Amino acid sequence: MDKETTEILHEINDIFIDVLDDDSIILTPETTSDDIEDWDSLTHIQLVVAIEKHFKMKFTAQEIRSWSNVGEMVEAIINRSKLAI
Amino acid sequence: MIPFKEDDTFSAAFTLSQQVYDGFISTFGDINPLHTDASFARDKGFEDKVMQGNILNGFISYFIGMALPIKNVIILSQDILFRAPVYMGESLTLMAKVEDIHESVNVVTFKYDFTNKQNIKVAKGHFQIGIL
Repeated sequence: MDKETTEILHEINDIFIDVLDDDSIILTPETTSDDIEDWDSLTHIQLVVAIEKHFKMKFTAQEIRSWSNVGEMVEAIINRSKLAI
Repeated sequence: MIPFKEDDTFSAAFTLSQQVYDGFISTFGDINPLHTDASFARDKGFEDKVMQGNILNGFISYFIGMALPIKNVIILSQDILFRAPVYMGESLTLMAKVEDIHESVNVVTFKYDFTNKQNIKVAKGHFQIGIL
């Protein structure tokens, strides 16, 4: 994992811990909603809202639906950051 | 399609009537003396018995469910900061402004406040709704 991915993964991990109120969460790029008990359709909304606020970016519904794991979420954030430069 | 845009503002008027007060007490049973005993409340520095602050949350519920120009809506989160006491019979205006829109997940965040006839802000906060 490169440094940028690691940093963003760490930031997302903090968001997951806060939103899902679970200090034991340790995300990897392969993590999916099946791996985290409280990551359901409703908390997913709160996670996306928190991520959009934290990284000051907005995604489309299509982008979000395309994410199959945390790694793709991180990748989307990195790509969106590059577009903003 | 989210039928709101940033800075859209909506308002509604509410009155802390005897009926609302009685209904709140009969439903939730909060008869703390601050809310039911005028002399107790005066001893604590208030003008009269103080209405239960969470009555305002009921007004917010009505506002979201009935006053916003959309019916397919759920409340995702809500916060409130009480800034001044509200007394029986007071009329309040709830003003809510769209603060943020997250189209990807159909979420709209509003910033709101309640003001009384003296234009004193008695409570403020945010609520977040999901468009179904």
